Amino acid sequence: MSKKVAIIASNGGLFDAYKVFNIATAAAATDQEVAIFFTFEGLNLIHKVANQQLPMPEGKEHFAEGFARANAPSIPELLSMAQEMDVKFIGCQMTMDVMGLDKEAFVDGIEVGGAVTFLEFAKDADVTLTF
Amino acid sequence: MIKTNSVLDAKGLACPMPIVRTKKVMNGLEAGEVLEVQATDKGSTADMKAWAESTGHQYLGTVEEGTVLKHYLRKASGEEHEEKKHEKVISNEELLQKIEENQKTIVLDVRESAEYAFNHIPSAKSLPMGELEERFSELDKESEIFVICRTGSRSDLAAQKLTAAGFKQVVNVEPGMSQWNGPTKKSVNE
Repeated sequence: MSKKVAIIASNGGLFDAYKVFNIATAAAATDQEVAIFFTFEGLNLIHKVANQQLPMPEGKEHFAEGFARANAPSIPELLSMAQEMDVKFIGCQMTMDVMGLDKEAFVDGIEVGGAVTFLEFAKDADVTLTF
Repeated sequence: MIKTNSVLDAKGLACPMPIVRTKKVMNGLEAGEVLEVQATDKGSTADMKAWAESTGHQYLGTVEEGTVLKHYLRKASGEEHEEKKHEKVISNEELLQKIEENQKTIVLDVRESAEYAFNHIPSAKSLPMGELEERFSELDKESEIFVICRTGSRSDLAAQKLTAAGFKQVVNVEPGMSQWNGPTKKSVNE
């Protein structure tokens, strides 16, 4: 049986996005079932507009060059790759309500749910990660 | 130059892309086929090994050519469960003893050439399963021939084919290279 990987994404910076999507795509490519719960600022990672221009941490802007040199894929690219490999995206309903955003503001194919939706997936996960 | 069924160019790609691409290409291959992945990501060697380990595919080895790492993988085949039919068999230990007694013992390795390249018995002749019929003429019908593969399944089939083609003394080696403890050789520079 394939393994399950449950990830919580709760931060909205560019570095956070790479951590989340690199692990998620690598796990999916290794035949593991992956779900990511996007909550609070983590929602930026799947926001149609925001995820095109995620901020670097303050003072680390010079890493932009390094990303280009390493030929790192862009976040929207990694995101669609993850979706192609059936990584499940769960947007946090409560955060969306607080921020006044609806499902249409986010990339297609996400599920919207509460904490229990994620917990249901994570309860028998082999790996659980928080970013 | 190692013969493979498919080559994936993942040069210049950063982690996790080499793995993601490998996964996609592997899905399109037939069981038992060999893939060469060319990458420049230095972390890819460790990643390929770990990826093969958890997906059940076979990691054969890596060759470094300048800045390019060439990884060789063989798609999982489930061959271990097949029933073996060739009657004459010999164990790894008995074969090792025969080779030590007589350096001219004929050992025929029917694995893919990439598998052979990274690990084989020094005196073994490489003749991949897929080329067996067209290369019968390279072998002597009267000699004793020990056929070996990774687990004893492909060599079982090869031994049957050789016997049917008129070879008199064909012996299958069980289990084969996966458990081989005798001397080995590589024909690539890692």
